[in-house]
Amino acid sequence: MSYIVPIGPYHPALEEPIHAKLYTEGEVIKDAEVFVGYNHRGIEKLCTERNAIQTIVLVERVCGICSHSHAFTYAMAVEALNKLEVPKRGEYIRVITAELERLHSHLLWLGIAFHIIGHDSMFMHTWDVRESIMDALEALTGNRVNYAMCTVGGARRDISDELRRDILARLDRFEPQLQRIVDICLNDRTIAMRTQGVGVMSTEDAMRLGAVGPHARASNLSVDVRRDSPYSAYADFEFDVPVWPSCDVFARAVVRLLECVESMKIIRQALDNLPAGPINLGKKIPKIAEGVTVARHEAPRGALSYLVAGNGTQLNQRVSIHVPSFKNTPTVPHMLRGNTVADAGLIIASIDPCFSCLDR
Amino acid sequence: MQEYKQIEITREEIVPTALRMRHDGKWLVMIYGWYQTDGRLRISWDYEVGPVVESYYVLGEKSVPSIAGIYDEAARWAELELYELMGIEFEGLDTSKRLFLPENLLETQGKGQILVTPLKELVDRRDEILGEKKEASEE
Repeated sequence: MSYIVPIGPYHPALEEPIHAKLYTEGEVIKDAEVFVGYNHRGIEKLCTERNAIQTIVLVERVCGICSHSHAFTYAMAVEALNKLEVPKRGEYIRVITAELERLHSHLLWLGIAFHIIGHDSMFMHTWDVRESIMDALEALTGNRVNYAMCTVGGARRDISDELRRDILARLDRFEPQLQRIVDICLNDRTIAMRTQGVGVMSTEDAMRLGAVGPHARASNLSVDVRRDSPYSAYADFEFDVPVWPSCDVFARAVVRLLECVESMKIIRQALDNLPAGPINLGKKIPKIAEGVTVARHEAPRGALSYLVAGNGTQLNQRVSIHVPSFKNTPTVPHMLRGNTVADAGLIIASIDPCFSCLDR
Repeated sequence: MQEYKQIEITREEIVPTALRMRHDGKWLVMIYGWYQTDGRLRISWDYEVGPVVESYYVLGEKSVPSIAGIYDEAARWAELELYELMGIEFEGLDTSKRLFLPENLLETQGKGQILVTPLKELVDRRDEILGEKKEASEE
């Protein structure tokens, strides 16, 4: 018997609105389509009416989870156009914020994934552990969501020696807790049964469809902008790019957990070697030089790119934002095919979709 | 600082460039469209080539061939977005379904009302629609 099963735009397994149509034969999904656009706010258009500082405030609100990534990437693009050299201390502070953001984003996703597979004790535990990272972000930036740490030419808030020691101590407490989650995730039978072999996307398909970030790395593709095209202060740090060969939902969970370990390494190196000096280039609103450039950053969900075109005035001629979810969401129908309807929510969630990013 | 290399190409070179990049296993970073200060439309296909982003662009073309057959969904969504929001035609692209805009705006798709129309006109148009809706609900 054939059915068309609609999921969303509002659904308990979805944190944000997306509509999916599943074409099924009994329990098995034969084909699927996804429809987006429920959060489209015309942010790219609004950017053309704003100066660089106002744009940073605006793009930070593209997404609540990776808000720093947006401000960071836009600032990098304007700095590249204007040939500004950001003070090293400012770059380190940006990297520390970006990696803390990655930690909280990955743990948030893991909690949701555990919740979807019905493992609510792990959901609560993961989010409990995540709270310590949120506290560190709040201590560092003053905010839990939109951090406002980036400005054109550097960072907006400095890290005192006391705060530096405080974050390092938090990381010392966080590390064994994270290791426990990694151990449970790798060895728990319930997690394995619900995620292994589900939503498979082969390495070839990941390349063909243009998947990015942890989603691509879970399909055994070693891609990471931080390593492949170093920017900001990332060239100063040693870290690995974890990949996992099983190409399923399980691999996506493991890759994100292993990335948390790597993020901790980066934060520790940055805090241990925090350079002295200014954190930014001052508070002047810059004119955006005539020309065009693209800046890229490895956001928690994958490669985020900003095209910024300037016309020599304070306003942007064009800002084009291309987010990882824009690349990963088209892979969802491919992953859904051949799976059961019961796994559809988990497979959609496995790309860690952010539809407010995607729709802009 | 990341390197951004810009290379102007002709309309005829779009597909061979995409084929060459796909064959070499290069990532399609994104397809961008924007109006330069001289008013000419610029469409660029950006590929990741090692640590560099190579941007192949054409100037003044409102209709270009689609590379969705080469880069699959990675190109199709980007082309659909530019079709909907800027009115750029991609020859061979299936535009029967909308990507971002509501279904009831299908008749205005391809006219680039969002990114091309001045914000003031968009705001006036919104006020007009809201006014019409208010009048209808009062009736």
